[in-house]
Amino acid sequence: MAEPLLEVTDLSVRFDTDDGPVHAVDKLSFTLDRGEVLGIVGESGCGKSVTCMSLVRLLPETAVISGRAVFDGTDLLSLSPRGLRAIRGRDISFVFQEPMTSLNPVLKVGRQIGEVLTKHLGASRREARERTIELLHLVRIPAPHRRLDEYPHQLSGGMRQRVMIAMALACNPKVLIADEPTTALDVTIQAGVLDLMRDVRERLGTSIVLITHNLGVVADIADRVLVMYAGRKAEEAPVRDLYAEPQHPYTIGLLGSIPLPFEGETEDGERPRLREIPGRVPSLRELPTWCAFADRCPRADELTRSTVPELRYVRPDHLVACFHPGPE
Amino acid sequence: MSVVEAPAITNPRARRRMLLRKRFMRRPMAVAGLVVVLVFVVTAIFAPLLAPYGAGATDFNALLAHPSSKHLLGTDELGRDELSRLIWGARASIQAGFFATVLAMVVAVPIGLVAGYYRGWIDTVIARITDVLLAFPFIILAVGLAAILGPSLKNATIALGVAAMPGVIRIARGEALALREEDYVPAAVANGANDFTIIFRHILPNMTSTLLVQATLIIPGAIIGEAVLSFLGLGVQPPTPSWGVMLQDAQSYLGQAPRLAVYPGLAIVLASIAFNVLGDGLRDIFDPRTTR
Repeated sequence: MAEPLLEVTDLSVRFDTDDGPVHAVDKLSFTLDRGEVLGIVGESGCGKSVTCMSLVRLLPETAVISGRAVFDGTDLLSLSPRGLRAIRGRDISFVFQEPMTSLNPVLKVGRQIGEVLTKHLGASRREARERTIELLHLVRIPAPHRRLDEYPHQLSGGMRQRVMIAMALACNPKVLIADEPTTALDVTIQAGVLDLMRDVRERLGTSIVLITHNLGVVADIADRVLVMYAGRKAEEAPVRDLYAEPQHPYTIGLLGSIPLPFEGETEDGERPRLREIPGRVPSLRELPTWCAFADRCPRADELTRSTVPELRYVRPDHLVACFHPGPE
Repeated sequence: MSVVEAPAITNPRARRRMLLRKRFMRRPMAVAGLVVVLVFVVTAIFAPLLAPYGAGATDFNALLAHPSSKHLLGTDELGRDELSRLIWGARASIQAGFFATVLAMVVAVPIGLVAGYYRGWIDTVIARITDVLLAFPFIILAVGLAAILGPSLKNATIALGVAAMPGVIRIARGEALALREEDYVPAAVANGANDFTIIFRHILPNMTSTLLVQATLIIPGAIIGEAVLSFLGLGVQPPTPSWGVMLQDAQSYLGQAPRLAVYPGLAIVLASIAFNVLGDGLRDIFDPRTTR
């Protein structure tokens, strides 16, 4: 098999705060192939965003990052600030969750996209303008030559997220990291944005890392899914396997908490109660020396509460960190 | 019957300019401010053409004369035409107001941006120095500096510009502190922007309306300041006319000819208000969030 585009090994991120260290990510390893869509799912605070932001060091200075992240032959974590700037937005680009505030309100949309082009590719103003129109066309914004000269506040939320995606795609990046790109949008627009991302992958061959807490979104477009819990990898599998035969009780819990209309409805219209995962994500102040999910897990026993489960293969490409894996 | 439609303007730049003009026109106070400011500026520039007499021309047949057809606003104790001196005096005021403001902005804004953006020790040093300087009233600082530099219009302008810096630094720093936390800053970092780009392309443009308002407060401040310095003998030196010098001269004749003090006083007040009102209007129309 070809070498992966991005290979992350033993990535740990710690925040040294005034109240002591917070271990956001603990020895996480994963790979991303060319043209692949990797979904990273988990609850809030499980380290999804931190993982991705640490790759190009977008975290505040209190973050201590260790491990290796080899991207296309270079280790991102040992790169100089200058080298990093050359990669940010050019080879690895981001789409953030908040399209309403991630655009500079006083710069015209076209100018903001064009800036990335002039910065990284040395494009002239005219070239940048033409390419920007192309990009806006690509992300399916109607009348791009007019939108170009508008300010962000003149665009709707979905439109702004498309602009953000256009900006991220400006230099034909190898990796697009989308951090909850659809969370702030309403459902019909979400579908459009996901559709667009799928299209981008097919047309440009961009690898996509999709961070989300919505398993429905992942099922829709990801090839492979990484389930994170409390800064560690809980399960990793091709998307079909994960949905068909989830192994980790946390994954099963997540899948169980997706609302499905009419599913399991009785004849008189009674619906079953939506399931939830009891308890909360543990504090990350101290790394537990046992399974972080033990307190919430129906399968927990003595072993679970005393030892950290190693990742192991239940199938050739299906990894689980659990002592008692298996579907329900 | 046919409805005549205005030709659709498609060029976006022209469209924006038209929009701005329309917004501006809807603000009568701002328009009035602009008109007065323009009158002052034009007067200052074309003083040699507009003034009926030279700045120092004396008419010994009309000392402290009342307004007449020959001297529209009368004359002072040396028989110099008041109107002509007001017109010549506008030069000093507008010059001082304009250049002092430019000086303050050009030097202070980058300092404030750096302090607010980088924070840390550099911010601490800059902020503490500004705090100390802000403890002195603007005019005291200007007077002190002008005294050190020596009396002349140029030095008075520099003194006024420097005295206005602490305030501008503090405002630019405060804005930078707030703006660096906006979501588009990390978004720009993620797109590979360096510190320079972030500071000057993303943070600075977002504070222009604040700075514009600040500038329109400094201009009248500097105009008044120039008058004060000249009045105290630290600015424009007699016999060169300036509104401050005229006030100083009028002082001795307040009993006989109070109008000599009223004219320059009115000019100062009018110019200050005009700049203030214009600034308010500009802030409103340049803010892209304004819809009216």
